[in-house]
Amino acid sequence: MSITIIEAVLIGLWTGICWSGMLLGTYTFRSLVLATGVGVILGDIPTGLTIGAIAELAFMGFGVGAGGTVPPSPLGPGIVGALMAIRGGIAPETAFTLSIPFAIAFQFIQTALYVIMSGNHEAAKRAIKAGSFGKFRLIANSTLILFIVFGFILGFTSAISSDVISGFANKLPKEILSSLQLAGKMLPAIGFATILSVMSKKELIPFMLIGYVASAYMKLPVMAIALIGTACAFFIFNQKEETKVESEVFEDGI
Amino acid sequence: MASNILTKKDFFNTTLRAFFLQNGFNYSNYQGTGYANVIYPALKKIYKDNPEKLKEVLLDNVEMYNTNPHFVPFVTNIQLVMLENDVATEDVRNMKMALMGPLAGIGDSLSQFLLAPLFSTICATLAMNGQISGPVLFLLGLNGILLTIKILTGMYGHKLGTSIIEKLSAQMSKLTNAASIVGVMVISGLVTNHVKIGVPFKYVQKIGDKEQVVQLQKMIDGIAPALLPVLYTGLMYYLLKKKKWNTYQLVILTIVIAFITFNLKIFA
Repeated sequence: MSITIIEAVLIGLWTGICWSGMLLGTYTFRSLVLATGVGVILGDIPTGLTIGAIAELAFMGFGVGAGGTVPPSPLGPGIVGALMAIRGGIAPETAFTLSIPFAIAFQFIQTALYVIMSGNHEAAKRAIKAGSFGKFRLIANSTLILFIVFGFILGFTSAISSDVISGFANKLPKEILSSLQLAGKMLPAIGFATILSVMSKKELIPFMLIGYVASAYMKLPVMAIALIGTACAFFIFNQKEETKVESEVFEDGI
Repeated sequence: MASNILTKKDFFNTTLRAFFLQNGFNYSNYQGTGYANVIYPALKKIYKDNPEKLKEVLLDNVEMYNTNPHFVPFVTNIQLVMLENDVATEDVRNMKMALMGPLAGIGDSLSQFLLAPLFSTICATLAMNGQISGPVLFLLGLNGILLTIKILTGMYGHKLGTSIIEKLSAQMSKLTNAASIVGVMVISGLVTNHVKIGVPFKYVQKIGDKEQVVQLQKMIDGIAPALLPVLYTGLMYYLLKKKKWNTYQLVILTIVIAFITFNLKIFA
């Protein structure tokens, strides 16, 4: 099924709105949110949720970066990947791996936009000196406006050309598609490893083991593991405070 | 005597305007243009009889700035208190620049490294099971917490001044530790569900008339379930932390390994 103009316009609008969240700090610009929206627009929420979740977990590592750096864009899997999976009939894992080049291309576009907007520093100064505060406020929102416009263009173009992209992907030999699917199943390991490398300390190894046992052996759902974790955290901190108080009393004794 | 040109409402509005901090983001002054815009309405009120001073202060504030958007109300509100009390420009600037780094550090580690990954993993798992509540909870939960942080830091900034930053980092380290415990536990669990590596190798043995199929995967599961996903994540962790690989190199490595092992029928 190909995409109608109305669907393409809606996807364009959705992309623009979500991309603005990158600046507003509202986290709408994540694969999970983007792909779910595409699923809602195209009437296939389950597939949207699946590819969104796969990409969200795999891209988690990319979210961890120093301030101001641009990670690969979630627009890749969140929009292009979702389109391939929903209308192109490509397996979600395969669609995710195939969308990575798009994520990197969109990342370059975003960096380019920031570079282009560098002029707004001088423009803002000139507007203030001239006393035109209305113009200053417009300049202060210029990157946001640009993101919404470019987001619309990127989303709309991706939707319109998704037949071509999916058609090309479907012509790939079966071995390549299956290998890409395996890659899609392995890639979340990078996201998990990145987050663990930021959080982990030697003292946390017991909790990693509990998490593993709870999931692999006991098959507990993730919410249950999160609750066990919260219980452990409470327990540890209550104990720490008690020992602190005791040692303070002891010091007073000396 | 503290002067009170600005009301509580003005400070609250400035706090909410923190959402606009990055609307003029660029690679020249980063959040600078947006920062000036965030405090603009409050400045207009402070300098309503002195348009030249308003221009001067705004120009001072379009200079380069880059911090965490959820903690910025702390800076803006301290700055506004200082400005309405005519504190020397240089002192105000020093305070603003001194807070930039620490707040970026505290804020980024809390929002990007802890809250976002935590919500992301839990909500993606809900979504994987076909529940639309996943993305909804992700947006509502995360933004609820981040808005609360904005309002609290804004109130602190207004009321207490710079000494609070030390208190804040002490409490933050506690919160960070607690969140780390939950985080590593959840993520260790998720590795076993969401990284999928299987071994297709089968060995068929004929004993008399009976055929006995030995599946390598079942033997591995007998040793430890999800052993390969755990080991592969461990390898990624090792390359990241000890060998300082970046994420792109890991993505390429993973795709290459997937191609080779799939076609040699080692992994599936």
